Amino acid sequence: MRGLIGAGADQATHESALPGLTVSIEKDLEVLVQRFLVRKREDLGSARIALAAGDYETIRRIGHDLKGAGEGFGFPELSAFGAALEGSAIVRNERALGEQLTAVEQFLSRLRVTFR
Amino acid sequence: MTSATLKDPEVKTVTTLQPTAAAPGSTLRVAVVEDDLSQAELLSHWLELAGHHCHHYDRGEGLLRALDQESFDVLVLDWNLPDISGVDVLKRIRASQQASLPILFVTARNREDDVVMALRQGADDYMVKPVRRLELIARLEAIARRGKHQNEQPEVLELDVYRVDCQTRTVTREQRPVELTAKDFDLSVLFLRNVGRLLSRGHIRESVWGPNAVVTSRTLDTHVSRIRNKLGLTPENGWRLAAVYRYGYRLEQLDAAIPRTPRSSDL
Repeated sequence: MRGLIGAGADQATHESALPGLTVSIEKDLEVLVQRFLVRKREDLGSARIALAAGDYETIRRIGHDLKGAGEGFGFPELSAFGAALEGSAIVRNERALGEQLTAVEQFLSRLRVTFR
Repeated sequence: MTSATLKDPEVKTVTTLQPTAAAPGSTLRVAVVEDDLSQAELLSHWLELAGHHCHHYDRGEGLLRALDQESFDVLVLDWNLPDISGVDVLKRIRASQQASLPILFVTARNREDDVVMALRQGADDYMVKPVRRLELIARLEAIARRGKHQNEQPEVLELDVYRVDCQTRTVTREQRPVELTAKDFDLSVLFLRNVGRLLSRGHIRESVWGPNAVVTSRTLDTHVSRIRNKLGLTPENGWRLAAVYRYGYRLEQLDAAIPRTPRSSDL
């Protein structure tokens, strides 16, 4: 299996509880998908910091971008998560945002991408 | 650890249809204004797979500055930009000398009033992210055609005394063949298909020599001068191939040819 992208060892403890999700994407998108997932993981970290600071605009923007780009890269779930984050940020729903960020983190930790 | 060790792995496959590459001579020069780098990379990748040339700007002002010296066949415009909104970019373009530039909004804003506002302000089409690859390419090519910037690309183009056969790559003027080099032929076709349109030097270079070619301004000017002479694109013949300072060239068909003094060869 070539071009496998997956969770790091730090997430291994969650793997026994959560089923994996393997997505197979065309080879020509490999570099772009790798970059995209790195950026989105960074965005999640930024969103956590923003949530702690009550910076809802930053989370709204991160959600908006995720909504727009996720499906195009082959991850419609990420677009749905992005839409939810954007909506919750607009109404400043801190509890929902915390849950949604956890859901995105779990999704990314389950995710394995193969290229063919 | 691989997915094989996980419980009940769910596997899905993303299949993307391959777009048809642009037909020769129908390559579009596309500007993409998008601040999300991942999205911009994806759009550029799709456009290039379809045979088009993509130029990315991450700010609205960056594009507006570029338009002072560049021309494009079509613009893909995001709404939410860090400096000015996509709608403001749209308004400023519609009030500029590039007012007819076909514009496709690609944005995650999906409310009906957003779509209506963008179209009423002059957008040619509107797509809500996430967009699908083939649909994006098809809509983009459609608005470029409607904008008459990229015609149907007929094999034979007849204009005034000129007849251009793209199949045999020959040009006749008043039914007499005009000898042109390969590059001069491509340059002639570009101008004759874009009569009245101001083309930037970058646009001309990219269309004739390709996106990665290094072509000096002097080389370009030499080729333009040569086709002006060979095709007789001069006011006495009813044509003007005009240089526009620090921008590029425009081929104009004059309303009435300026009467010329008969030459011995005409008698």
